[in-house]
Amino acid sequence: MTTATATSPTAGTTVPRKGRLTFTGVLRSEFIKLWSLRSTYWCCAIVIVLSVGFGLLLSSIQRPSVPGAPAAAALSASAQQVTALADATIGVGIGQLVFSVLGVLAITGEYSTGMIRSTLTAEPKRLPTLIGKAAVLAVSSFVVGLITLFGTAAIIFPILPGIHIHPNWGDSNLVFALFGGAAYIALITLVAFSIGAIIRSTAGGIASAIGLVLVVPAVLGILSNTTGAKWLSNIVVFLPTQAGRLLYSYGGPKGEITNGYVTLNSTEGGLVLLAWFVVPFIIAAILLMRRDA
Amino acid sequence: MIEATGLTKRFGDKTAVDGIDFQVQPGRVTGFLGPNGAGKSTTMRMIVGLDHPTSGSVTINGKRYADLRAPLHEVGVLLDAKAVHTGRSAYSHLLAMATTHGIGRKRVNEVIALTGLESVARKRVGGFSLGMGQRLGMASALLGDPGVLILDEPVNGLDPEGVIWVRTLARHLASEGRTVFLSSHLMSEMAQTADQIIVLGRGRIIADAPVGDIIGLAAGNAVRVRTPDATRFAMLLEGKDITISHTEPDVLVVNGHSAAHIGELAAGSKVVLHELTPLAGSLEDAYLALTEDDVEYHASDVNDATTPMEPVQ
Repeated sequence: MTTATATSPTAGTTVPRKGRLTFTGVLRSEFIKLWSLRSTYWCCAIVIVLSVGFGLLLSSIQRPSVPGAPAAAALSASAQQVTALADATIGVGIGQLVFSVLGVLAITGEYSTGMIRSTLTAEPKRLPTLIGKAAVLAVSSFVVGLITLFGTAAIIFPILPGIHIHPNWGDSNLVFALFGGAAYIALITLVAFSIGAIIRSTAGGIASAIGLVLVVPAVLGILSNTTGAKWLSNIVVFLPTQAGRLLYSYGGPKGEITNGYVTLNSTEGGLVLLAWFVVPFIIAAILLMRRDA
Repeated sequence: MIEATGLTKRFGDKTAVDGIDFQVQPGRVTGFLGPNGAGKSTTMRMIVGLDHPTSGSVTINGKRYADLRAPLHEVGVLLDAKAVHTGRSAYSHLLAMATTHGIGRKRVNEVIALTGLESVARKRVGGFSLGMGQRLGMASALLGDPGVLILDEPVNGLDPEGVIWVRTLARHLASEGRTVFLSSHLMSEMAQTADQIIVLGRGRIIADAPVGDIIGLAAGNAVRVRTPDATRFAMLLEGKDITISHTEPDVLVVNGHSAAHIGELAAGSKVVLHELTPLAGSLEDAYLALTEDDVEYHASDVNDATTPMEPVQ
């Protein structure tokens, strides 16, 4: 800071005059922004380490799938796959929380620090920035989700035969579910991002996103179980976590309505979760265009 | 060139900017002077599209800011030093900004050198002093080598060396034919940097004149004359120790003649006058007086004794 260039205040001459604002530029800029913050690396490290750690823990415990049922040695082939998948996707629960925070921070961090003013003077149309941020977050969280889930699976599957579970990589249901888990993490990240973009404050955004992922399903689940109300149970089915869970469950149920109870299949579940992203994202986009930054 | 027409911004029932018209011309430094809360920052935020005007419009080179194809190449903006994510390094911040326009690392390193930030470029901005933050703000304003620079309080927090650097840089950029628009609440700072000064008080333009005239205004008595025949009348008024500034096409601010004398001259030569207003007191008094009721920033009553430059009715 002592080397102020008071003598030669030339503005320089090597600027490419032809350069202009492009969406590709905005995408690359948002990528640089996300990956030049330590918090991003911390979030990813936490998810990967905890996923592998819990996966290892689970895969070393022999357990019956249902209380009172025979132990794993007696499980059917598909039940073994279900158990193996449950162990490999144990990280999704942690991942959705950590990535909810990351998704909220990706936008509220700009408001709390004032960065948003720099961002929107560089890209004053605003919508490309919101789309660019969402795209970078989606791809990044999906890739980290893939690394987490396939990494955990690759580490624990060789151990599982020790507790009489024999995972089969050739089973398309299993592989699809691992991809689905990564897609689930990416979509939850986008839901949280959209909520953050609407609320604009870090504390409020994180509270809302975590509330939606963690508190709302728990509370509604308890109410629905204790009251036995069909409509309540049917609402729970459409919550982002409950609907999204079908993306990483083995095979998944049929989409149907029996005795007034709604069941979704994995495609429907994925679409419901997608809607949980799209609707708040559109609201966020409208607000971004209208509000003063 | 920056051009505002009827630019107005209201926040609820509070009017921050009240229907102002002004032009900022290329090739000179235009100062935007006014006390804190006068509406300078809001005006600048509207110029670059961060705030939406309640009514009126403002354009840069004839276009709304949001319609510019390469905003960073056309306009360099320093709105406040801390418009940067605190967790990111100065280099990463500048690179992210530059990348939106396809500006390369070479230029990023250039502006870092230009603003004397080499030693801290890889450090996180959260630990920066206000002065370093200002330098980083200047660096991002210069990234695209823009023809228009909008700098809100650029010397705020800088050490004396930094103040001189900004002043020299602003003058140099203007001498290259660029439009330089910078705000300050310090009249003394403006006197040394600006060619033209726009004085804002409580959201209204109090004066828009060359710096010499503003200083003349501040020093003595002046009379504002509004006439459709301004050019001819100005010639009639000319004389020894008389300074006349043409603030608007039909407005003259005359130093050295009394209002009565100007009125007699006008009657004698059959010039129609639309306004003849004696202005008294300094500009600093004027905008302090204008903002006296602004409870939000009111400190004490030390200025009660001063004569405001309110039009003497």
